[in-house]
Amino acid sequence: MNCEDLRMYLSAYLDDELDVAESLRLEKHLTECSGCRELEAAQLDLRSVLRDPDLRFQPSADFANRVASAVRQQAKQEARKESIGFDWFRGLALFGPSWRWVPAAAVLVVLIAAGTFLILHNTRSSHEQLVASAVLTGHIRSLQAGHLVDVPSSDRHTVKPWFQGKLDFAPPVPDLSELGWHLIGGRLDYLDGRPVAAVVYQRRMHDINVFMWPHTGVTDGNIQAEEAQGYRILHWNGADMTYWVVSDLNRDELMQFARALRGR
Amino acid sequence: MPGGNKIAKDGVSFNGRRPVTTQERLIRFEQQISPHLRSAYNLARWLTGSHEDAEDVVQEAFLRAFSAFDNLRNDDGKAWLLAIVRNTSLTLIRRNRTAPTIVGQEQHVEDPSEPSPNPEEMLLISRHREDVRRALEQLPAEFREAIVLRELEGLAYKEIAATAGVPVGTVMSRLSRGREWLRRILSNPREGVQQKRSSAG
Repeated sequence: MNCEDLRMYLSAYLDDELDVAESLRLEKHLTECSGCRELEAAQLDLRSVLRDPDLRFQPSADFANRVASAVRQQAKQEARKESIGFDWFRGLALFGPSWRWVPAAAVLVVLIAAGTFLILHNTRSSHEQLVASAVLTGHIRSLQAGHLVDVPSSDRHTVKPWFQGKLDFAPPVPDLSELGWHLIGGRLDYLDGRPVAAVVYQRRMHDINVFMWPHTGVTDGNIQAEEAQGYRILHWNGADMTYWVVSDLNRDELMQFARALRGR
Repeated sequence: MPGGNKIAKDGVSFNGRRPVTTQERLIRFEQQISPHLRSAYNLARWLTGSHEDAEDVVQEAFLRAFSAFDNLRNDDGKAWLLAIVRNTSLTLIRRNRTAPTIVGQEQHVEDPSEPSPNPEEMLLISRHREDVRRALEQLPAEFREAIVLRELEGLAYKEIAATAGVPVGTVMSRLSRGREWLRRILSNPREGVQQKRSSAG
């Protein structure tokens, strides 16, 4: 790789988006060329400047509500056009010119539909559903409270022993850094009525919580995926450990992560 | 692929089946799309350069997204929504050519196609938030968009490609050039300010 190639690829390299072969060639060039190391330092500097969260524009406080009610308004109009099953929507309008009823009715319809949807959905496996929502809550709490890890370390030989004596099992803490999954640390959490291990990995700005605890049921290596509130939750049962992975990372990458973790 | 089937069977994601009622669609929309409102606003704000325009764009984009929600075939609701926000922004910009941060300023900045690896200059960039903001605003829209999606929204190249409707290779080169460009402006931010003043007066 020469300096010109490096200029082209450096950005992708620092973004973890370059394949392994190119990355190695680029790293080799960096060790040999001080000019390009300066370039790298400058790019890293720029990145640290751009990491300022206040650069992100925030909408006004009531904006989410305004948009939500505009969408619901549109849903209501579409529902009215859908004559099947929602004729009583029109019937309600006959109560008089009082359109105040319509939003109330729309809310009612949404609530009933939401309830039905959730009940139907939960019959699948209410227990797993409960654990899934606890996993999601655990993830969000860990991000909000600024309490992501109890033992911050990128070294698995620090994180793994830390759990000793705090848990009645030894959670696996594989080193996946070569694949671009950076270990951030570990934390104790409480899920499904028992203390569990939470191991945190990171890719770019996305935190990934891996919850693990022993499991005695059937081994089912198939990864189940679901999505809620913009987060993705993956779950599988390993040989003697059950795994729950949660993050706001996109689905493809999170699946890659789960497969890497499962493969160990 | 057995894993793939499992996802389709168990996920809250669609099984390739269409949602039956508008109400059901609304619930799914609010689960899958609404959480990305802040990202949508941030992108629209950076593209249009104005708070009011950004709010208009996002609201319109959400209504469009809701109408087209059945067309969303994969789970990546964020990139899908941001693509709609982007297109809505571009429509508004075209309609309203006065948006000063999109056109007019980019001509003042020279594309640093020729590298000048002067290390001293390289290490001195402004860290003032307002300088950074202004520098980003000066970038041509396609570079600014790529940088905002990457640095501020944390999207993967693949997701940026899906949002902007370009190949991943293009994303890579826009980010590379955009960052170099940005660094140039930031190593001499006052110049940008003066240009802004003189073009305003």
